[in-house]
Amino acid sequence: MSDVPVFIAGMGVISALGSGTAQTFEALRSGRRALGPLTLFEVPADQAMAVGAVAGIDAPEPMPRTHHLAGLAADQALAGSGPPPDAIVLGSTTGGILTTESLLVNNCTDPESYRWHALTTVAEELARRCGCTGPVITISTACSSSAVAIKVAMEMLRAGMAGRVLAGGADSLCRLTCFGFKSLQLIDPSGARPLDRDRCGMSVAEGAAFLLLTNEPQGAGALQILGAGLSCDAHHATAPHPDGEGAAAAMRAALEDAALAPQAIDYINLHGTGTLDNDLAEARAIRALFNEGRPPLSSIKGAMGHSLAAAGAIEAVIAALCIQHGLVPANVGYRTFDPELDLEPAAKPLQAPIATVMSNSFGFGGNNAALIVGAARPPAAGAADHTIVPFTVDGYACITGAGHTMESRERFFAGMPCAGRLDDGRLAEGLPPRTIRRFKRLPKLSLALAVNACQGVQADRMPGAVSMGTAWGALSETHDFLRRLAETDQKYPSPTDFVGSVHNAPAGQIAMLLAAKGANVTTSGGDCSFEQALLAADVLTRRAGASILVAGADENHGVLSPLFDASARVSGTAADGGGALLLRRAIEAKGPVVEMIYYRAGQCPEGMAGLVHRLGGAGIINRTLGAVLAGLPAAGRARADEQLTAFLSESRFGGPVVDYRRLTGEFAAASAVAAVMGVAMVERDRVPGPLAGGAPLPLGGKAILLLGLGKFITAVRIAPP
Amino acid sequence: MEKLIEELKVKIVEILNLPDVSPDDIPLDGQLVGGELGIDSIDVLEMVIMIEKDYGVAINNKELGTKVFATLRTLAAYIQEKSPELPN
Repeated sequence: MSDVPVFIAGMGVISALGSGTAQTFEALRSGRRALGPLTLFEVPADQAMAVGAVAGIDAPEPMPRTHHLAGLAADQALAGSGPPPDAIVLGSTTGGILTTESLLVNNCTDPESYRWHALTTVAEELARRCGCTGPVITISTACSSSAVAIKVAMEMLRAGMAGRVLAGGADSLCRLTCFGFKSLQLIDPSGARPLDRDRCGMSVAEGAAFLLLTNEPQGAGALQILGAGLSCDAHHATAPHPDGEGAAAAMRAALEDAALAPQAIDYINLHGTGTLDNDLAEARAIRALFNEGRPPLSSIKGAMGHSLAAAGAIEAVIAALCIQHGLVPANVGYRTFDPELDLEPAAKPLQAPIATVMSNSFGFGGNNAALIVGAARPPAAGAADHTIVPFTVDGYACITGAGHTMESRERFFAGMPCAGRLDDGRLAEGLPPRTIRRFKRLPKLSLALAVNACQGVQADRMPGAVSMGTAWGALSETHDFLRRLAETDQKYPSPTDFVGSVHNAPAGQIAMLLAAKGANVTTSGGDCSFEQALLAADVLTRRAGASILVAGADENHGVLSPLFDASARVSGTAADGGGALLLRRAIEAKGPVVEMIYYRAGQCPEGMAGLVHRLGGAGIINRTLGAVLAGLPAAGRARADEQLTAFLSESRFGGPVVDYRRLTGEFAAASAVAAVMGVAMVERDRVPGPLAGGAPLPLGGKAILLLGLGKFITAVRIAPP
Repeated sequence: MEKLIEELKVKIVEILNLPDVSPDDIPLDGQLVGGELGIDSIDVLEMVIMIEKDYGVAINNKELGTKVFATLRTLAAYIQEKSPELPN
């Protein structure tokens, strides 16, 4: 249990049930079913399905629907709350895909039209709206995304990284998810009936919800997020572990985090999607954890459908409403008891005093999250131990156009470009053929990084958790799914491509291969995706001895990369790759130490002075820093150049500055490659001659600074032990 | 049905990208899913789409799927029986 309380200072929600907490509560109180026909886009008659659509909203052109939904819910959460939040953490799986789908079908080749495609643009637009200049983090772990976002936000508060964080999620209906789940036979065409004996699938829905979380005490009746737990099944790409092992682990971790016994839970808000496998696995997990004294429970997904990445945050808001109003919402759609589940959900809305709610969210890739919302309580007695052991590098790997780690390093250290697209055969060298038979480019790249980073690492140091950043996700799978969907009149898309298209599919595969059953996070923050993965790893892995694999990877796709990634377009050379660091909070550090030290908007009013101050000022910078690896994305070169000039003038740093994208090529995960190069330089205690502008430069125990410039300014210090 | 069986063998190997499996390795009466071939639940869904697209036969629930995909022979027999496009 942390001694830093996490209060809910504001809430906003929009879903098929309505807009705002009042409408949402009214719908829950009446037990209304808000599912209806899918009409947002053309659907062949034999593909018809009931969905949970938000009525009466139209995104102002050209803003995609997910962005619009997010804006509406965030405005509610922030209404009258004073200054902008210090950070935003948002879960999403769709981003601008609904708009992208139409553009691609119409063969639109204007990159400007795709500018809202990336997941990160949803959160960045919120930051612009509310004036947030701190970290803007996007989590994409499929259906647990926004529950994981809330966990990351609360850990940022506990770590003292922020005082107020806007956390939540948003997803709109789109062809990819509706027809994707359909191809997996996971849709009940007439509407979800969670926990019912005759259930046969879920209903896709849309919505958004945000919570303004703060460590500042709130007034009477204040609620807190008391705890949250994450786990990974490491079992299957889509199906849950049949016994609900991962689900139970997440619930157990949440209870432990909140320092509560299962008996303290007054109501369980189930993930309860209505699919055969999910409900069975969740029921088994609950039966194992709660034994006889099972609290009332229900799934609200029969009422409003499953809003995917938004569901965790929507249900966190609903958990808070249940406590405020003493309501157990009905498990709408449920009629017949299923002896195999052996769970009797609330068939009708019930009035009951409720102080503490557990809310579950599970997703593809075996990504599980459980949150506990409850009445505010006094801070824990006896302050927790705040000494955080830094991350030490136990292993690393990278991939560039030149090859794997060794070939890439040789070229990079010689100051020669390693930009390109490594061919598929070499990419997958050494990977088990059966495991990768369905993989296209990004999962191969990611798995190769993970396996190579863990090569030769002793068993007790293998990673228990995974944090991976990818700006664009699996472009090949996404492209192929949408193309076949369009070519077959929405009828015969590939289920394999759908499963592979989710941003967290590669991290899920890594977890399976390495049997990493702890937290499994995928971040998507444009050129800072790797830095976001590092930040998430930092706040989620606090215990001494804990290990986590942190990776950044992006694929170059012939059609989509030039449309989506402005830097890739400007450069003209197709390049991709990534890097991975196996990190451990080692008490006796023997390898390089990696620390995420700065993350702010590029337009932040404090400018570069803030970073220089954070590094200890000009004097300390010049005594402790040996070289800077600077990331200047081609699309924002002018601004990045200005930022670098400002940094060098404020810090009076006179050592070598390596403009690494000139070597790695232009792709979002280039900073992950640079991080690996930085680690290799610190290991050798020197900057290679070609990068130091002449003779090799001994570092003499000084550190390397990995500096990210552009839309955001990020800094990672890589220091000798 | 012989022709259909041979056709299915080729299609299965092709769409599932099974490493080191040739069409002739697929047994007529041996376990099709979850056995040595390495065919899993996602492969079944991929085959479902192919069968609907190429033969106009829908296999749209798990219970039916378990029966139909028991062996290559049961699969071919079901397609033969239901397909509007195949001569009996």
